[in-house]
Amino acid sequence: MCGIVGYLDKAGAADVPVGGKLLAMLTALGCRGPDSAGVAIWGAPADGLIVRVKAGDRGEVEPFRRAIVNTARKLGRVQRVLTQGRLIRFEIAKADPAELQAALEAVSPDVEVVSVGRRLEIVKQVGAPRNLEAQFGVSRLTGTHGIGHTRLSTESRVDLSHSQPFWAHGTVDLAVVHNGHVTNYHKLRRTYEQDGTRFYTGNDSEVIAVYLARKRREGLTLREALAASVRDLDGSFSYVAATADAVGFAKDPYCLKPLLVAETARAVAVANEEIAIQAALGAGYQACEPGAGAIAVWEAPRPRSPSEKPRRRVA
Amino acid sequence: MGGASSEESVGKTAQAGGVTVVTIDGGTLDVRQINETIRRHLAAGDRELTVLGPGARHNLAVAILTDARIVVDGPVGYYCGGMSDGVRLEIRGSAGWGVAECLMSGEVVVDGNAGNSAAASIRGGVVVVRGSTGARAGIAMKGGLLVIGGDCGYMAGFMMQRGRIIVCGNAGPALADSMYEGVVFVGGEIAELGNDTVVSEASREEHAEIRDTLARYGMKGPDRFRKVVSGRKLWNYDKKELEAWKAAF
Repeated sequence: MCGIVGYLDKAGAADVPVGGKLLAMLTALGCRGPDSAGVAIWGAPADGLIVRVKAGDRGEVEPFRRAIVNTARKLGRVQRVLTQGRLIRFEIAKADPAELQAALEAVSPDVEVVSVGRRLEIVKQVGAPRNLEAQFGVSRLTGTHGIGHTRLSTESRVDLSHSQPFWAHGTVDLAVVHNGHVTNYHKLRRTYEQDGTRFYTGNDSEVIAVYLARKRREGLTLREALAASVRDLDGSFSYVAATADAVGFAKDPYCLKPLLVAETARAVAVANEEIAIQAALGAGYQACEPGAGAIAVWEAPRPRSPSEKPRRRVA
Repeated sequence: MGGASSEESVGKTAQAGGVTVVTIDGGTLDVRQINETIRRHLAAGDRELTVLGPGARHNLAVAILTDARIVVDGPVGYYCGGMSDGVRLEIRGSAGWGVAECLMSGEVVVDGNAGNSAAASIRGGVVVVRGSTGARAGIAMKGGLLVIGGDCGYMAGFMMQRGRIIVCGNAGPALADSMYEGVVFVGGEIAELGNDTVVSEASREEHAEIRDTLARYGMKGPDRFRKVVSGRKLWNYDKKELEAWKAAF
C-alpha cells in the first residue's frame, strides 16, 4: 500500500520544523505500511554539498565510516561528520558530485550514496515511521519543504537501499516518494541500463527517480517532467517529487492511487489520506482529491543561507 | 485496544426538542470502540447521535441498519457510512474514498469534498456531496440518488445500472462509461463522454425535479442541465459493431 506525504511551508525560512510535520504525517499513515520509512528535507543551503552514505548492509559501521570519510577527504574539505545508524553524513566543500559519488561507491559494493544535495538531506531506515525520531531526531530537522514515505513492501526486498525517499542518483537535490506500481518498470529499466544507468534496487519506484533525472538533464522543468511521466509511466501511481526549488506530484491517468491535496495561506500538504493532512495542518483547510492524471507543482521559497545575516533596516 | 473505556467517552445527553442527543467523544476512542458505542446506543433505542473528534479515520459509522440520525463532526477517512440501510448520516467535513458505499436506503450528506468511489454500488437512498468528488463517483450504482454540488472526477457513473446522479459542476473524462441504465444530469461542462452514452437536454419536468431535489439540501445548481443516458449499443454483442467494442475495452 505505502504512504506518501509532502509538505511545503510558504514562509520561506529554512528553519521551519518541516521534519516534525513530516514525522506527524507519516506516523498518521503508519498503518499503510510499517516495513521502512524515511524523509527527504530541503534545508538551509550548505557551503558545499551535504552527503549521506550507506555504510554497507551488515557488519561494523566504523570501518566503513573511516573508508568513506578518508575517500571524501581526498576530494575536498570534509566537515560535520555524523554517524546515525548505518548512515554517514558529512558536508564537503567544492567537490564534483559525480566524481564524489563514484569514489565513495568504489569503497565497497555495499556502499551507496543515499543523497547528495546543496540543500537535500535524506534519512531513512527499516521499520515504522516512529523509529525515525529515535534514530535521526527527525522532528528537529528544519527546511522549507520535504517529502516522506512509509512502505508496505510488495515486490522487492526490505532493506535500507529499498527504503524511500529515493534520491535521483547523480542529480543533486532531486528526490521522489511513490505509492503504487510502475508496470513498465522492466522495460524502462532495460532501456536505461543500456545507456549505462546504474540501478541500486529491484524496486520499481526507483525508475521514477531515474526517469525524472533524465528529463531534467534533457532540460525539462519539474512540471514538464511530471506531465510527461503521466504518459510514459504505466501502472497505478501517486508520487511526490521535489527539488531545491519546487515540490510537486503526479497521479496515474486512472486515478488508482489516492493522493489528497490541501493548501492554506501558509502551507501546502499532500498525502494519501486526510488523517495525515490533519496531522500537518490541524483544521481550517479544504482537502480535495485531484483528478485522473493530475499534476501540480509549487515553487519553494528561496531560503536564507546560514552565512546570510537577516537583513536589518537602517534608518 | 487500549486507552479509555468507551463508557467514559460518551458525553452527557442533551435535550433538543424533546429528543435525547447522545454525544460520543471519538477523540479518546479507537475506531472499533466508536462503532461499538454507536451500536450500543442504537440497540438501547437512542436515535440522535453526535460523534466528536472523528480524526479523519476510516470505517466510521458503517453498517448502520436503523433510521437513526448520526452526525460526525469533522473530516472522515475511507468508507464512512458504508453498508448501511436507513441511516441518516451527516459528515461535517470531507470524506475519503468509498463514502456511503453500498448504501441500501437512507441519506448520507458530506459537507466537504469526497474522495474516489463516492456512493459506489448504492442500491437506494440519497448521497449528497456538497463539494466535489474524486474519480468513479457512483460507479456501478444499482439505484438511489447521488448529488454532487461541485465537480465530479474521472469515470463518474461507470457501469451504473439504475438510479440518478446530479452533478452541478463539471464532469471529468469518461463520464458514465458503459452505463446500462440510469441517468446522469450535468450542469457544467463534460470533459469527455464515456462509451455508449447519449446526451440530450433535460426536460422541463426533469429540471423542476432537479431544482426540488437540490432545494431539499439548501443547494442551487445552474439553470440548465444536460442528461446522459445509455446508448444501449453495448447491451448485446454485435459483430458489426466491433469498433464500438474495441473502444469500450
